[in-house]
Amino acid sequence: MSSDPRDHNALPDLRYIRELAKVFRQYDLDEIEIENGEQRVLLRRSDIASGTGQVMVRPQVEYAPVGHAAPAPASAPAPAAAPVSNDTFITSPFVGTFYRSSSPETPSFVEVGSTVQRGQPLCIVEAMKLFNELEAEFPCVIEAVLLENAQPVEYGAKLFRVRKL
Amino acid sequence: MTTEIRKVLIANRGEIALRVIRACRELGLKTVAVYSTADEHALHVRFADEAICIGPGQSSQSYLNIKHIIAAAELTGADAVHPGYGFLAERAEFAEIVQKCGMTFIGPDPIHMQVMGDKVRARQTMEKAGVPVLPGTGVLTSGAEAVAAAERIGLPVILKASAGGGGRGMKIIRDMRALPSTLETAQVEAFKAFGCGDMYLERYVESPRHVEVQIVADKHGEAIHLLERECSVQRRHQKVLEEAPCSALSDELRAAMCATAVTAAKAIGYHSLGTFEFLLDGDRFYFMEMNTRVQVEHCVTEMITGIDLVQEQIRLATGEPLAHLNREHKPRGHAIECRINAEDPVTFAPRPGTISALHFPGGFGVRVDSHLYTGYTVSPHYDSMLAKLIVHAPDRPRAIRRMRRVLSECVIEGISTNLPLHRWLLKQDAFVSGKYDTHFLEATMDPDAIRAEAEPQA
Repeated sequence: MSSDPRDHNALPDLRYIRELAKVFRQYDLDEIEIENGEQRVLLRRSDIASGTGQVMVRPQVEYAPVGHAAPAPASAPAPAAAPVSNDTFITSPFVGTFYRSSSPETPSFVEVGSTVQRGQPLCIVEAMKLFNELEAEFPCVIEAVLLENAQPVEYGAKLFRVRKL
Repeated sequence: MTTEIRKVLIANRGEIALRVIRACRELGLKTVAVYSTADEHALHVRFADEAICIGPGQSSQSYLNIKHIIAAAELTGADAVHPGYGFLAERAEFAEIVQKCGMTFIGPDPIHMQVMGDKVRARQTMEKAGVPVLPGTGVLTSGAEAVAAAERIGLPVILKASAGGGGRGMKIIRDMRALPSTLETAQVEAFKAFGCGDMYLERYVESPRHVEVQIVADKHGEAIHLLERECSVQRRHQKVLEEAPCSALSDELRAAMCATAVTAAKAIGYHSLGTFEFLLDGDRFYFMEMNTRVQVEHCVTEMITGIDLVQEQIRLATGEPLAHLNREHKPRGHAIECRINAEDPVTFAPRPGTISALHFPGGFGVRVDSHLYTGYTVSPHYDSMLAKLIVHAPDRPRAIRRMRRVLSECVIEGISTNLPLHRWLLKQDAFVSGKYDTHFLEATMDPDAIRAEAEPQA
């Protein structure tokens, strides 16, 4: 496969997508679209003609994936509403429990709207009583905190949606 | 006293992860799969009750990442860990950490892995226990010492890495003058491969067979054997086909070899599943190494004994006694296993890719252990094994006929596999007559005939 769904899948919970994909396959659907406020999931059979029945998880977007619905020439300028593809996520390099602050008494390291500098702590992922502080690798603004405090996280789980500065 | 197990984390992938999940499910245990980002769509992830992503595709950062695996166990509340084979299965420190975290390691104690993982120490321990070993040395300190030892033992000799095993890190010496320099290169290579440059020397057996004995032992000092497996069909010291029982053993030799394995297991206070590998030279056998885990080829033993080895391994890990297993086991019929790999059937070069069409054989006496499905992508990150085709029949000739039938039914399209090699192999007189040694396959391979066994790919 040339495209890894992970690269452009902008959703916090893979398990949810997996369940959706099951329904998709079970009922042999060609397309499924689900929207709840800020998130939108679109699953589409990638190549109906070839009959491979492969399920693609498309990124969370406000418009149809380019090159699918409208066979526009490749040279056509990208739509103005492109910022979604600029979404940047900070993911967990560890497996463990996500904490927003260093202790229950202290305030969270960051809040939505916080501007953080490179090296500034963002959260803690605890595993085996070891508190791994996760630092920002680049300056950015926190746009969304994608998990509740004390939630379990696996490797690659999306923790924050940010805007690079 | 027994420790209860409710939820098992499987620290592995592929067919063995599925094998363990199946055993757990039948025992009524919950399962936790761990997976790398490359295995997101793997069957073990789907079939387990829970799944946790533990890292990227490279094994060193996922399936070998002890910290992440333990964290996954902690998060999911697993109370036992099954290591499968490969990856962390024979890492003493992993077993130790699992135990320190209050979980049950489904395998032997760390000390057993340490003793058997160090091949020089294993040799010495076995010699002390009265197990025959080939004439050899301890860790060599100089070329002169090696030459003196080789003169005493007689050429040819074989240099082996103390931290090696499974056929890795070995050099055959036929010319005494080459010994000192070969030793030096081997030490450097072993250091690079295993982090330890210790080498030792043994008499080299020209035409051996590889026969191993399956051991099952409990935590109360009891041990039994579940007969032997013949694993002489090899390429580059990797097993290609295994069968049980071994047709080259007389009843007396079988009894002696199996009894020796039981004695050896008891001598080190071993528990769980284990395999003693022996070199068979005519009617004499010598200890080669011990594997302290479930083996790839455990299935052939299961077929001829009717015992689910993985379920028993889990049961014994709780501290239960051998109980119903504690008796003499006789072989029921004959079993053969073919390892189907994603590789060129002649050059053995790995061939990753996506499976475009798949049909597994079926019918009476057939078992397929595999993690494949149509559309599955064989990742270049891991072992190339795709499936184990296993047949069981009342005797060896019928098992061979059944395996030929099974190989002709098996279809794996989209990638190159060694199915043609197996089809060719099952027709060879040497194989059919049972008169072969560990060099047989590589010495008699006929590339054109093997390629001709490949079915036309659509």
